[in-house]
Amino acid sequence: MIGRLRTPRNRELVNLLLVAAITVSGFLAVFVARDNAVSTVSLTYAGLFLAPYAAAHLFLRVVLPAADPYLLPCAALLSAIGEIEIYRIDPVLARTQSLWVGVGIVVLVVVVRLFDDPRRLEALRYTAGVAAVLLLLATVVLGTSVNGARLWIRVGSFQIQPGEFAKVLLVVFMAGYLRVNGEVLTHPTRRVLRVGIPALRHVVPLVALWGAALVLLVAVNDFGSSLLYYAVFLAMLYVATGRPLYVGGGIAAATVGGAAAVRGAAHVRERIDTWIDPWRTARGSGYQIIQSLYSIADGGVFGSGFGRGFVLIGHDTVIPAASTDFIYSVIATETGLAGAAGLLLVYLVVVFRGLKIASVADDTFTKLLAAGLAFALGFQAFVIVAGVTKLLPLTGITLPFVSYGGSSVVANFGLLGLLLCASARANRLEGRG
Amino acid sequence: MVEQSLLIARAAFVVLLYLFIWRVVRLSVRDVRAPQESLVLSAAAARAVGLGSALAEPTRPRGGASLSVVASAVFPVGTRVLLDGDLLIGRATDCDVVLEGDETASGHHARTRRTADGVVLVDLASTNGTLVNGVRVDSERLLADGDTVRIGTTDLTFEADGSR
Repeated sequence: MIGRLRTPRNRELVNLLLVAAITVSGFLAVFVARDNAVSTVSLTYAGLFLAPYAAAHLFLRVVLPAADPYLLPCAALLSAIGEIEIYRIDPVLARTQSLWVGVGIVVLVVVVRLFDDPRRLEALRYTAGVAAVLLLLATVVLGTSVNGARLWIRVGSFQIQPGEFAKVLLVVFMAGYLRVNGEVLTHPTRRVLRVGIPALRHVVPLVALWGAALVLLVAVNDFGSSLLYYAVFLAMLYVATGRPLYVGGGIAAATVGGAAAVRGAAHVRERIDTWIDPWRTARGSGYQIIQSLYSIADGGVFGSGFGRGFVLIGHDTVIPAASTDFIYSVIATETGLAGAAGLLLVYLVVVFRGLKIASVADDTFTKLLAAGLAFALGFQAFVIVAGVTKLLPLTGITLPFVSYGGSSVVANFGLLGLLLCASARANRLEGRG
Repeated sequence: MVEQSLLIARAAFVVLLYLFIWRVVRLSVRDVRAPQESLVLSAAAARAVGLGSALAEPTRPRGGASLSVVASAVFPVGTRVLLDGDLLIGRATDCDVVLEGDETASGHHARTRRTADGVVLVDLASTNGTLVNGVRVDSERLLADGDTVRIGTTDLTFEADGSR
């Protein structure tokens, strides 16, 4: 009997209930801190926020019962923490964000319906690749500049961030491309100095991607996306071929290209200067990162508690862009090292599950897809957290599931849907992960 | 009152957050050590993902007929495929069991079929043939418990129903 109760979906339900408890305690704290009274309104808020996840859970129970039981609860937890902080910063934004989470769940449902066998995506690999390039080109041509980086396209009253969608499409393209061409890259026929070098025509697409990442860096001034796409590309290349040569060569090529960009382009150099010494331009380009560092330090080990941190001055946030790029700093202020480290652990769990799905999957496309998607999600979190903690030059990119932003939320739920499909397929085979 | 409840909410948040992480990590690690626990589908779950009819009767003992990988260039050893209904095995990506990258396997190499007598292995005119206990299968053959099946470079052991 116990065996029958331990189905993936029952596990998911228990995990989601735990997430619900965390959400309630968080909202409760924000309400108490704001109104100085214990109220039940916070329960309503938490309930409304959790409703889409309950719906997604029921949907998976019917359609994809074998899917991984940890991914959805992890996404729910991440977006709950984000939603609590966004609510704390601006209740109006929080309402929009919960709407986007609802849209995201709908996208997840559609993705699962269309691609419950992820191999169906393989036929669409070139479509995905072309769509990704078009989206990125559209940003270059039509994009509006926010904080010096052109990431946004304005459509009516909407702003969309095509880069978030391009990320998922690029992984699909790479998985399809490498499934077909991985073999020739792994076992090249020509040898130079006892090292196998693949024929030029097989390398050209790889060099093209390197060039595209560089163009993104210089022309669009989007260091974060450039780094993200390139890292995903190298990771997937390594997964497909198992050859460290490509990773080493890729990093060397990126270093050469990056160094040239720093020499050649003034805005890239300025970004690097701000990173090395933000205090020199403390009232200008260094302001944001300095505010972020002080906020994180202010949090200490356990933080000030939800709703109690020094986050707002009047109606402005202490750190500019606190609800989007800098939400990690706000979380660190209010929940301290304990909460911020916990958040990073949740990302690690998601990546771990993704790699586990890849190792259990029985076909190369699903393997590459799952590994690529997991890596993209984890590396995106790394890039922005490293940015706001001054480990890497700062870059405008969202913290997946946590940051405010419709494009980011919707694209990442699409990504989650694909991972769930891959896991359901992988779990058809009983095997040693 | 307010101070206390705030403190409780804060503590609850951190404790629950780490409880969640601990739970997920503990169960995930167990997954890696003992894969069968979360990866075997129940009969109802198998039916819902379209795994066919073989596992469908809920009253049957668990552990229906299966093929387990004992040696392979393309599959991890120990991978177990549940034989429910017709399974198509081969190199082509539309197969149920894809022997990807195994050049010695045909696109559509073999299929399994459930009959009243047991599981029948059908060779689909494959180039290099399907071997059962070292003997090439002519067109089809009824599998007995413990038979070794060779398809391409992959060796599999057949386990009949309820043999666990």
